[in-house]
Amino acid sequence: MQSSFDLQYIIELMPILLKYLGVTMEMALWGFLFALMLSLSLALIRVFKVPVAHHLAALFISFFRGTPLLVQLFILYYGLPQFMPIFIGMDAFTAAIIGLSLHFSAYMAESIRAAILGIDKSQMEACLSLGMTRLQAMKRIILPQASRVATPSLMNYFIDMIKSTSLAFTLGVAEIMAKAQMEASSSFKFFESFLAVAVIYWVVVLFFTRIQHLLEKRLNKAY
Amino acid sequence: MIKVTKLSKSFDDLAVLKEIDFQVNKGEIVVIIGPSGTGKSTLLRCLNYLETPTSGIVEIGGIAVDAQKHNNKQVTQLRQQSSFVFQNYSLFANKTAIENVAESLITVWKTPRNEAKQTAKAILIKVGLEDKLNFYPSQLSGGQQQRVGIARAMAAKGEVILFDEPTSALDPEWVEEVLAVMQQLAEEKQTMIVVTHEMQFAREVADRVIFMEGGYIVEQGSPEQIFENPQQARTQAFVKRALKR
Repeated sequence: MQSSFDLQYIIELMPILLKYLGVTMEMALWGFLFALMLSLSLALIRVFKVPVAHHLAALFISFFRGTPLLVQLFILYYGLPQFMPIFIGMDAFTAAIIGLSLHFSAYMAESIRAAILGIDKSQMEACLSLGMTRLQAMKRIILPQASRVATPSLMNYFIDMIKSTSLAFTLGVAEIMAKAQMEASSSFKFFESFLAVAVIYWVVVLFFTRIQHLLEKRLNKAY
Repeated sequence: MIKVTKLSKSFDDLAVLKEIDFQVNKGEIVVIIGPSGTGKSTLLRCLNYLETPTSGIVEIGGIAVDAQKHNNKQVTQLRQQSSFVFQNYSLFANKTAIENVAESLITVWKTPRNEAKQTAKAILIKVGLEDKLNFYPSQLSGGQQQRVGIARAMAAKGEVILFDEPTSALDPEWVEEVLAVMQQLAEEKQTMIVVTHEMQFAREVADRVIFMEGGYIVEQGSPEQIFENPQQARTQAFVKRALKR
């Protein structure tokens, strides 16, 4: 059976899907916030070569970059509770945020580390020559400059993360992808449903791309 | 007040400094000259521990650090006794001129922000940059950047300012204004150690000239002694060549 494209259906579906955009964005924003904190710590541990910790950081990064996000989410949500009772009560929404932040922090740590290493060595020397400690130099001079370098790639990961929240539906989180899937199965209008959800993701990403440009402009004012 | 004892520095097998001894008194202006690659800059960087010496003791303003048993805390304290002017300025790229100068006061000396800014402003006025306070380094000429570099070093409350070829990276048109600021500091009896190829400056401003070659101090004395009446053959050869330019 061949049916014709149903634009009316898409228009009616949009407001229904948009109600679930909040869940998607909440996962993305929390996930990114945690990923940012974790990746900054990982990057600093590796830059300062903190004994023992920097080997652990390298192992962490290797694992989370080396395995698929979906597998990580399954291990976290379906696998771990089998051995660690504290995970039994964890809801799917929390698990998705934890999984997304761990996964993306591995990538982001490498971007931040590269940005730090890319700052001219003379900037650190100038700080030290004034009697600043390495940590003060990092905080006041190196990281502000590195953040400018890292912003485009970090924003890229944020955009990727927004889209990756769609995997949370495999854990049973009721976000927009899950809702689109449900609507599609009941109406049999698969194309329209998934197209609608694609458009929503796209518009959200366009919005954040705009934000990225404004942010970069601001960070570039000294250059 | 600055005392260097048996200071040596090797990079792998290459000995760059060989048991250097010297002292600098408060208010003294010492200029170090010599051929390229003879350890002048390395010596200066060792005084500030931007290079860690292989052995020897550096003492500035009562803080003595022995290369063989130093720790981070001592090194930071030693660095606070001096400040450094870099060949390539090395201004903080994310900070304006006034923020560059105020930075050490705020971060190292915990001066309240407003007070630090006032001090920074006064110093920048002194080096002739009152109209550039809120400019970023990228918006300044080489000569202006180096003057901010000197202002930053002046603000740091060190006993001595170390100048590492401060005019070598400048276009000829900017050299004069930077030397003028240094001359002004010299007149105020700011203790300075200057590595430079500016022989005219060494002659006119230095209290003492040190000639270095091959990792040793070959000869030192007043500018008249070194330039008019050098005792060592190597000094004679270098001075003859340098003054011809």
